[in-house]
Amino acid sequence: MSRIVGVFASNHGPLMARDWDKVRDQRMQSVLGAFAEIRKRMEAARPDVLVTISPDHWINFFIDNLPGICIGVGEIHDGPPEPWLSHLPFKTLAGHPEFAIHLAQTACDNDFEPSLSHRLTLDHGIGIPLWKIGLEKLPPIVPIIVNDLEPPMPSVRRCLAWGELLAKAVESFPGDLRIAVLATGGMSHSIGEPDMGRVDEPFDRECIRRLESGDAPSLVEFLDERMDSAGNGAHEMRNWVMAHGAARGRGYETLYYAPIPEWYVGCGFAAWNV
Amino acid sequence: MRRDYWLSKLFFDVQTPETGAEYRADRDKVLARYPLKSEVVAAVRADDVKFLAQRVNPYLLRFYFHAAGMSEQDFVSKLRDAGASTPAEKRVAQQHV
Repeated sequence: MSRIVGVFASNHGPLMARDWDKVRDQRMQSVLGAFAEIRKRMEAARPDVLVTISPDHWINFFIDNLPGICIGVGEIHDGPPEPWLSHLPFKTLAGHPEFAIHLAQTACDNDFEPSLSHRLTLDHGIGIPLWKIGLEKLPPIVPIIVNDLEPPMPSVRRCLAWGELLAKAVESFPGDLRIAVLATGGMSHSIGEPDMGRVDEPFDRECIRRLESGDAPSLVEFLDERMDSAGNGAHEMRNWVMAHGAARGRGYETLYYAPIPEWYVGCGFAAWNV
Repeated sequence: MRRDYWLSKLFFDVQTPETGAEYRADRDKVLARYPLKSEVVAAVRADDVKFLAQRVNPYLLRFYFHAAGMSEQDFVSKLRDAGASTPAEKRVAQQHV
């Protein structure tokens, strides 16, 4: 039976690439430490496939065609197109069509209807975490793109169900594939809004508390109530919720959290003990 | 959620390095390709963040001004200014840039 061997969450703030030096104190060392910890745990997990969960930052999709959820089923994905990430070693990244199609089929069989793409471009939402985590050998990637940017967005409840569906798809995949999950984005932040730069630390800490509790309905309820007031970027917590669902709500651990206003973000990193 | 489609399309398109460079070199030439309303064109030319923010996704707004060459500090300053409605509120907003 195939199985999930690791579930992680990572910040993906662009200013980690563009303005890394703005943060010079202990927080920078701690962020580096969090990426190193994910690298260590992911390498120990020896995944054959990495499922990433992130938004599309207006790269693949536009308001003429805006899927709620899209699975990248192609053999190849293109790397980050942002000019300020041209130095990253990801011109293209291998996909895993067999598992991706199985995930899409499992979704359809369970009354979920994802969009599909046979050639996605993976932007900074995936590129920055992969770059900073720095795996020696990158496994094939199956991207799940979630609309976290443009209302209306998938409900938090549905994202939790998507995570559980992902776990089901892994367990029903023939063979003994080892699959890791990496959700990116969050926590509180505000982009292109009048309060850009504001970090809502109480929101972030309450998210952490409810993730730790394992009480998924309480997490969903809290996010439904508070996500809007924590900045539009906080909607990326959907990706964390999907990871939480994939881990079946078990074993959440914060690897690092700090409000980092210099990067406009509540900067969180996590792992679930699966 | 109401969006100005062609304004959004302009903001989307200037993210590509080629169109971004062309836009920075000759803004009017690129603007002429889009069927924008005259008041929208005027707002783009004036960098009227408040007017534009009401018509596009906030992420696209940020990406546009980055591609158009505005510094992040200026953009955030204009955003905060746009979010404040009275002179007193604007002064407070400016103190936090």
